Amino acid sequence: MLEIRNLTKIYDDGTLALDNVSFSVPDGEFLIVIGLSGSGKSTLLRCINRLIDPTEGEIIWNGVDLAKLKGEELRKVRRKIGIVFQHFNLVDRSTVMINILTGRLGYSRTWPTMLHRFSKNDREKAWQTLERMGIEDQAHKLARELSGGQQQRVGISRALMQDPELMLADEPVASLDPVLAHSILQHLEDLNQEDELTIICSLHYLDLVQRYGTSVIGLREGKLVYQGSKEDIQKMTDEEFKTIYGEEAVRISDTSLEGSVGEVIEL
Amino acid sequence: MKAREHKIYQEEPALPSLVPPWLAAVLSAIIPGLGQALGRALKRGVIIFASFVSIFGLLIWRFQIAAPRDTGVINIVLKAFKLQPVFIVIAIFFTLMYIWNIIDAYQVAKAAGKPEKRKPFLVFFLIILVFFLIGWQIGRIDLYGFVSQFDDSFPILSQILWPWEKAITYPTVEVIGTAQLESPCTDTPPEPEPREDKPYLVADPTCGFPTMEEVGKNEETGDWERVVTQGTDFHVEGYNFDPGREVEIWWRDSAGRPYIHRDLETDTNLKVIPDEDGYFETDLIWPFPIGDTVRTNMEGVAEWELQGIQISLIGTWEFSEEIELAVVLMIETIFIGMMATFFGVILSVPVSFLAARNLMNANAFTLGVYYAIRFILNIIRSIEPLIWAIMAIIIVGLGPFAGILALTVHSIAALGKLYSEAIESIDPGPIEAVQATGANWFQIVMYGVVPQIIPPFISFTIYRWDINIRMSTIIGIVGGGGIGYILVQWIRNWKYQEAGIAVWFIAITVAILDYVSAEIRERFV
Repeated sequence: MLEIRNLTKIYDDGTLALDNVSFSVPDGEFLIVIGLSGSGKSTLLRCINRLIDPTEGEIIWNGVDLAKLKGEELRKVRRKIGIVFQHFNLVDRSTVMINILTGRLGYSRTWPTMLHRFSKNDREKAWQTLERMGIEDQAHKLARELSGGQQQRVGISRALMQDPELMLADEPVASLDPVLAHSILQHLEDLNQEDELTIICSLHYLDLVQRYGTSVIGLREGKLVYQGSKEDIQKMTDEEFKTIYGEEAVRISDTSLEGSVGEVIEL
Repeated sequence: MKAREHKIYQEEPALPSLVPPWLAAVLSAIIPGLGQALGRALKRGVIIFASFVSIFGLLIWRFQIAAPRDTGVINIVLKAFKLQPVFIVIAIFFTLMYIWNIIDAYQVAKAAGKPEKRKPFLVFFLIILVFFLIGWQIGRIDLYGFVSQFDDSFPILSQILWPWEKAITYPTVEVIGTAQLESPCTDTPPEPEPREDKPYLVADPTCGFPTMEEVGKNEETGDWERVVTQGTDFHVEGYNFDPGREVEIWWRDSAGRPYIHRDLETDTNLKVIPDEDGYFETDLIWPFPIGDTVRTNMEGVAEWELQGIQISLIGTWEFSEEIELAVVLMIETIFIGMMATFFGVILSVPVSFLAARNLMNANAFTLGVYYAIRFILNIIRSIEPLIWAIMAIIIVGLGPFAGILALTVHSIAALGKLYSEAIESIDPGPIEAVQATGANWFQIVMYGVVPQIIPPFISFTIYRWDINIRMSTIIGIVGGGGIGYILVQWIRNWKYQEAGIAVWFIAITVAILDYVSAEIRERFV
């Protein structure tokens, strides 16, 4: 159970990114965060694993307030929270393998990792994860040599290496074409359903929200403006979506994708 | 963004001209650019005015230099036209420019208030053309001289371009074959002395008289006159000389004084070339002795020696001293560049962190340090390594260490800038991602930062190494060690072939380096 209470973030330049946001996420949820660019989605996700320090408020996860953690304790909690980024945030010039093993850094002793040494278990785990994501033949390539969809799978693999209990995904498909978007989101759905990972994912497209989300929150100008269950999402019309979201909302045509999704996942 | 575009649009208001077009033309005739400025083209007016003022100033200066002894504007101008016809061309285009400035003012004033009309640009073309012509005159550009003198300098240039005759030498030794002569003849003239495998001469006869000059009284006329008595005719054979290489014939008189045999018909030194058996024969006349001293033995006989002197090869070719010097100094040059790169890298890495804005914008103090370092680096970089070398020589004296110091200083500045820019351009995304895995500071640096800066650092380092070696080839010109030092010595001593060797070495080294550095860098960029 993750509980956000009165979370507020004001950046140094005075921008109010989050304004007194409160909501809770039961374990096993696939929570989708919607909102315009600049509405605070990324800030919210980054506050949860403290890549950004919140100005005020509490982030209670498994009974601990993440907002108050520091140093070693913070790092230990971060290990259990995986994150996937819109631009993948891979180290371009490192190999896929090193990028994935990066996920184990929090569990490894510092000095061996300075020489790129990881335990045998970690390496085996890396291979298993690569296989699961279907990119085992890319292991020794440089990250930058991979296509966008493959890079995002490396990103997910890296997060999975952390043995996460919570997975954050910051617009994970915004840099990908619609077909790959489904492929990546199905990986996340798979993790949500099979591994019972809690997932908090920000998305832009209503049909993707309807297809994958088990609950939704909407942000606008840093304020929580919408909270809905799976049923609520299904009933949501384009107009409602637009009122939360603004005029930029776009629907990816279902008909153009449904038939081909099964094949393209294999890409 | 939209607001800004709007603003830009408003900066060009379609206001009508302040003066009618004809007045704009008249004003520009008096003060170039004034008409345009009043015709709502202020910048254009200012540019035209500034151009006229600077061109006018330059022309006064150049005309005076061209005709320094003349007084009066007309005299000076006419003299300059006469001495340097390029001034006529300049004057024509300057006049054209002036006229067109008037036309331009008219057109601009007329077009003012009509934004759709594009302003003419011919006046700027004429201004640039006049500047070009003045530059031609100031630069003393002389294409005719370039072409006509090229022929004369071709022998020297070809020495530099193809210097390889000086690259190898053949070790030689002087071999002498002799025959003994005496004067006057006795009952036992000297016998030829054949020698096994060694050169010797056989003279026939082996005695006689040198050519003599006496002053005697002509019996018939009773006048005193010079009488030359020609010396003895010899047939000389040479044996066992080196085939094909010329032999000089020398005399050694009774007092032991050597002198070369002159062929009186051609007035050249007599040279003979032995055949494939090392044999030659020639005829010669016993010449004048030099000096009056005649040394005789106890029988009163002067003993002479006839010598065949040959410069003979021993062993095969070997590299010349110049080549050895060039190689040694080229190695020194490469190491000067390498050491400077080493020191430059070691010192510029810490500097680059202080000169990276994204690391230094935490507070006002660090930002101050950032600006100070940037400023210093820019100053250092703007001073050429040759000048740094001169300063280093003052401290440590001539030699490679001065060159290393100079290039190190310049490298720190150049690499500091490049490295800091590499640091500034790292992607924060991967750092964020590594941080999110629960990694500690060391791990974040090792996995998030280092992989991003290593490739550009290596690339810039190789690039710098390349530049440093190229620069170390010329740093010797001011005495900073390396091949440049000997290159400039050779050029000043007109040793163009030797200089050519140095030039070739530099070119080859730089070309190889260029290729290698490009290949290495390709793998990292």
